[in-house]
Amino acid sequence: MEIVQVLAFGLLLGGVYALLASGVTLIFGVLDVVNVAQGAFLVFSALFTWQIWDAFGVEPLLLIPVMGFLMGVLGWGIYRGMVMRVAPQGPGMTVLLMFGVALTLEGILNLIFGNKFKSVTPPYFTESFTIGQLVIPLPQLISGVLGFLILGGIYAYLRLSWAGRALRASAQNKDGAALVGISSVKSASFAFAIGAATAGVGGVLLSIMYPIYPATQYDWIARLLGIVVLGGFGSIPGAVIGSLILGMTEAFANTYLPQWSSLFFYGTILLILLFRPHGLMGAKTREDVA
Amino acid sequence: MNHVHRRLGRRSRVVGLAAALAVAGLVASACSSSDSGSAAASAAPAASSAASEAAAGGDTSAEGPIRIGISLPLTGDFSQPGSEAKKGYEAWASIINANGGLLGRQVELVILDDASSQEQVVTDYNNLISQEKVDLLLGTFSSLLNFPASTVAENNQMVLVAPAGGSPKIFEANPKFYFFAQQATAPNQANPFVNMIAALPDDQKPKTAAYVTQDDPFAAPVIESMQSQLEEMGVKTVYSEVYPPETTNLQPFASKIAAAKPDLIAQGAVFEDGVSLVKSLIQVGYNPSLLFQTSAPSNGSQFTDAIGTGNENGIFYAVSWSEKAPTPGNEEFIAEYQKQNGEGLVPAEDAADAYAAAEVLAAAVEGTGGLDNVALKDWLHANSVETILGQLSWDEIGRPQGDFLLAQWQDGSVEIVAPEGASTNGGNVIVPKPAWQ
Repeated sequence: MEIVQVLAFGLLLGGVYALLASGVTLIFGVLDVVNVAQGAFLVFSALFTWQIWDAFGVEPLLLIPVMGFLMGVLGWGIYRGMVMRVAPQGPGMTVLLMFGVALTLEGILNLIFGNKFKSVTPPYFTESFTIGQLVIPLPQLISGVLGFLILGGIYAYLRLSWAGRALRASAQNKDGAALVGISSVKSASFAFAIGAATAGVGGVLLSIMYPIYPATQYDWIARLLGIVVLGGFGSIPGAVIGSLILGMTEAFANTYLPQWSSLFFYGTILLILLFRPHGLMGAKTREDVA
Repeated sequence: MNHVHRRLGRRSRVVGLAAALAVAGLVASACSSSDSGSAAASAAPAASSAASEAAAGGDTSAEGPIRIGISLPLTGDFSQPGSEAKKGYEAWASIINANGGLLGRQVELVILDDASSQEQVVTDYNNLISQEKVDLLLGTFSSLLNFPASTVAENNQMVLVAPAGGSPKIFEANPKFYFFAQQATAPNQANPFVNMIAALPDDQKPKTAAYVTQDDPFAAPVIESMQSQLEEMGVKTVYSEVYPPETTNLQPFASKIAAAKPDLIAQGAVFEDGVSLVKSLIQVGYNPSLLFQTSAPSNGSQFTDAIGTGNENGIFYAVSWSEKAPTPGNEEFIAEYQKQNGEGLVPAEDAADAYAAAEVLAAAVEGTGGLDNVALKDWLHANSVETILGQLSWDEIGRPQGDFLLAQWQDGSVEIVAPEGASTNGGNVIVPKPAWQ
């Protein structure tokens, strides 16, 4: 029974990680930009969720579309205003730029919210769902399931819609896409907006699970980059698999060998990279072939 | 001690981000890495004005004010507790100056910023001693910074009373001039709780216990010491685990602990991990009859909001200071702190610790009737001092010999339940712990 419990924890953890990591991997796939500000976006969304919940008592889950949209607009603005201008200088510069964005956002959040933990506690935050001996905390269940559903929706949209296909075309071959009339600036802005929107949605989901304060962004970005590297930069299915592997690793290690859980988390990444240097689903980039 | 913990947590986050950036840099084939610059920012002397204002009020001593040199992390990682410590020192200076000063002379604080840097703190104290030629020193904040500071003080034979800095590492060098001005070093934080348990009637004593702690230099020793003391008392250990600082989701631990059904759960928690364990225990529906956590419960409403108001009822923790403690001078300190920083503002524990450190130094000066640091050192080794934290005394290497306060959340507020002299409610404890809300 214990093993089923651990699997359930790992699966739900993986669902949240998958949604969060997909934003990072999508932005990289289309733009070659490593968005190290994703953690700051997440915390930004979570703290504003707290603010609205605290002031008006709104059910936090209702804020999912609102925060998704707002962060999407913010992401779009950051791309148009900054990333687009710096991108020609190479990926190294955009990493530094996004690092700067992350620190600036953290500073702003510190000014607005102070250096204190904020917790969103809707009535169900300590509830759990019991099947036999299996206990599944309700916030984790909601977040894990919504994480998978929303990510599935995004994936389907990217596969099936014209805009999604245009975006993937741009990711595969910018010049070719431009030849058939796909504006690379538009696809790139769109990709950045979706990536940021996943952080908007993810922030709401995190807010009902963990206390948040501005510097928690570091925990999250470290974890997300680990997942994306493991799954392969640029691949959404890779991000999902990476999330599940690391969610499971974390749940198992915390149950059986907690003292070593960090080692297992990063050791797993290291081991997989030894055999698959581009991650599980990562494609070789052009530089490697040349 | 809670801030110390949080800062350590933050450091590991910064390391995490550095690692993350390194990964990102590799992936993006970034060719240059940027060193964000030396942390040793230039530290301009910021002599406290509180003292000089008071001094203008009619100090006629030909010798001028007694100058006390202090380095504090006013910027950088530790700026939050560093700034609180500054407020504590300044509150003390105002009060002592308003009461005629030390040995009839006004007191002037010379405060430098060490930017939370171990290099800068050494420069600062050397500068205070050789350039500023201060008469006395007071310590900086955290073990990390007081460790190098203590070596400077030792080399110059100057007494250094530190408001935070109880790491065993500092005492390994057998310092003669260093004094840690809290009640106890980390391993002894558990004692008041263990004593409380020993005094419980037999039917309330725990028979089994679960111990879980973050791998943190201030949390783990508390829990380890508690475990060995309780095992000696015959309390059977049914679960014992250590987890790394990154762990914020304690659900797997709560499941295992609930399955072991311990009477007592003791956790070496910093903050998020403490919140997560409580929430997870509620979720699995397990309520122990005794629950002790380090640090996390001392965060007031941040803690109660995070676990759901009411769920804190009955949780124990150890702390160095309480705004309600009936210790001498405590009310005066709070009033002065509020006068300087805002009405209704409850001082942080860090401010109170700094205030107490200054009280210790002042007691030694009054006790010896002079500013000879060797005499001050001998006096402190031989005497105990009444402070707002309670009575403090030290062994031959400056380790405090007292006990922390044992606090318990009781019906929405914090009560100090032990030791007897500091109790805010006559020592009433709520055992067994009430049900979750």
